[in-house]
Amino acid sequence: MQLSKRRDVKALLTTATCALLGGAQASATESSSEQWQFDTAVLFYSESERVSAVEAIVAGQKSFANDQRLNVKLTIDSLTGASANGAVAQPNAQTFTRPSGNGQYHIKADKTPLDDTFKDTRVQLTGQWTQPLFNDYTWSVGGNLSKEYDYLSLSVNSNLARDFNKKNTTVSAGFSYAFDQIEPEGGLAKPFTTMAVDSFGTPEFDDAFAQIRDGSTEDKNTLDLLFGLTQVINRNTIVQLNYSYSDVSGYLTDPFKVISVVDQHGMSQRAIYENRPDTRTKHAFFGQVKTHFNNTILDASYRFMTDDWQIDSHTLDMRYRISLNNGHFVEPHVRYYTQSAAEFYQPFIQDDAMALDYLSADYRIGEMDAFTVGIKYGLPMSSGDSLSFRLEYYRQTPKNNGTEAIGALKDVELYEPVDAIIAQVSYSF
Amino acid sequence: MDRQVECITRDGGFTLTFFAMASPCEVLIDTLDKRLAMLIGQKVAAEAWRIEDKYSRYQTTSVCGQLNTNAGTRCPIDEETYLLLQFAEQCYQLSDGLFDITSGVLRRAWHFDCSDNIPTEQQIAKWLPLVGWQRVSFDRHGFTMAKNMEIDFGGIGKEYAVDKAMDIVQSIIKQQTEAVMPVLINFGGDLAVNGPRNSDQAWQVGVEHPSLTEQSVMMVSIRYGAIATSGDANRYLLKNGVRYSHVLDVKTGWPVKNPPKSITVAAPKCIQAGLLATLALLRGSQASEYLSEQEIKHWVID
Repeated sequence: MQLSKRRDVKALLTTATCALLGGAQASATESSSEQWQFDTAVLFYSESERVSAVEAIVAGQKSFANDQRLNVKLTIDSLTGASANGAVAQPNAQTFTRPSGNGQYHIKADKTPLDDTFKDTRVQLTGQWTQPLFNDYTWSVGGNLSKEYDYLSLSVNSNLARDFNKKNTTVSAGFSYAFDQIEPEGGLAKPFTTMAVDSFGTPEFDDAFAQIRDGSTEDKNTLDLLFGLTQVINRNTIVQLNYSYSDVSGYLTDPFKVISVVDQHGMSQRAIYENRPDTRTKHAFFGQVKTHFNNTILDASYRFMTDDWQIDSHTLDMRYRISLNNGHFVEPHVRYYTQSAAEFYQPFIQDDAMALDYLSADYRIGEMDAFTVGIKYGLPMSSGDSLSFRLEYYRQTPKNNGTEAIGALKDVELYEPVDAIIAQVSYSF
Repeated sequence: MDRQVECITRDGGFTLTFFAMASPCEVLIDTLDKRLAMLIGQKVAAEAWRIEDKYSRYQTTSVCGQLNTNAGTRCPIDEETYLLLQFAEQCYQLSDGLFDITSGVLRRAWHFDCSDNIPTEQQIAKWLPLVGWQRVSFDRHGFTMAKNMEIDFGGIGKEYAVDKAMDIVQSIIKQQTEAVMPVLINFGGDLAVNGPRNSDQAWQVGVEHPSLTEQSVMMVSIRYGAIATSGDANRYLLKNGVRYSHVLDVKTGWPVKNPPKSITVAAPKCIQAGLLATLALLRGSQASEYLSEQEIKHWVID
């Protein structure tokens, strides 16, 4: 009798402990992990003489019982400045009409033509819900809304992950579907038509401008499929491999970009609006290794992307976090990017060239290299919050894809590099 | 008290140390990620200090101090306090009244300072009426006890803090890293681990022998769960060759007879281990037998 009663003590105590810690665990999660955790950041991006952007990000995460997680993120960015319109520099001054038709801008001799009316504010809201589904499965679903003055983007996504091997291996598959719509002020330009420039401010100009307009809105659809494998190698190393497939269809042309038509002396005759194919299929392969060494963490990744526009790109990215004795850290960052040109990319065309189906002089789909060097400095705050600063220098170097410069074009800069500074302050609490 | 967390780098990881609840505390983290180790150390210390501030009977501003100051009236309580009182209630029940968190007033009669200062029966009789969990009433929102009664979470507070801190550690690890990260939390000898060290190795823990004369350390290995130690480390009275332990029988107001000097118990949670060790000590010379009967792993120093 006494013995069985004593044996009961263990069981009774276990029950009491569960009530205390199980219940207290719930209250602890309320006070710590069930509260929202926020990451906030302000980012400044400034290209020399071109675009500058200010971006504010507030990201929140809330965890619930049963490992459910809600992430929401609000991004507001404001871009101002000038962006290359695609036309080539000339030994003489040039005049272009703004995409809206509401004004013109003048480019000095030997300068790369930049449209300086680039100004936009973008508001982006994303939400993601993640939860365990059943044994070893994690399911996630999310949505994204992004709105600019003349652009709307909506997307949904879902992902399913399965853990194997005591959670040391995770395999995932997911998709994302996006719908984008563009509605530029002044309508969309007809492909290959000549930019109306002469007699600005007269009814003749207005007629000419109206002639080359083709509707007011266009849209595109993007389907992405993503397959991933994450493997814990040992307690210090984790490897991730991803493959993604992307199929885009619809309006892929940039209605603000033109291409210069030049004579045999390299002198610009006119600027015509570009035209891109209405489908694009991309394949991307991504590999990443994260390793903890004594007091440091190396994060190295490589990405290869290839598409049916003949753009191949390679990205190498390395971050090396060094923990300092006072709990602060320093993280140098280098990134190298290189891409080949789209098959329809031309920096300019000659006026006797054969008619083409597709054409673009947008340097962003031309051959180019880019590199980034930067450093991040982080420090934990006494309350468990963390503060970090990031400063990076970015240089984009467009390159000749094999087009021979002719006449006057030999004396101007056809592939002007772009330099930018990125500064970011982040605070997590 | 200087509330600071020190970080010591050692082979294979970090040891974070601080002082809380009148004890040296440490967190052993087997990782090379110093930032994360520091974060864990700070969160563990913050939890220990939070519980100390909330439940210390020495702080009049603490929840415990307020309940004692306002004895005789109903005091509002929060959920955490309710759960702790509920736990104390269950311990009182399952120990047949031997474990009683209102027994602290007996310390007014007993001063366990290693002297021979044994109180008289009259001195004990003066305080004994103020002991008695059965005269306490509480529900989820309020707590009432008779005037001049006192409660004391000292018997479970440190172990509770270890368990709570380990919950926090587990949630941080889950959030911050995909990898396994072995952690040991030790608050003055009451400790818990979140699993074995790498390669399934057990943690080797030195449990200090509480005797003044024998400064030996007993090595204990632990891979899962928690261990807690209860004993009369430097807290006893000695008169005419009789050692009076600080473990008091709340029914008589006198120390239990011939308990082991120290008893260390293993259990899934630190608070269970601590309570089992205390319950065993209350059995006096039967302590080890009491635990053996229940097939509870323990180490005794007589």
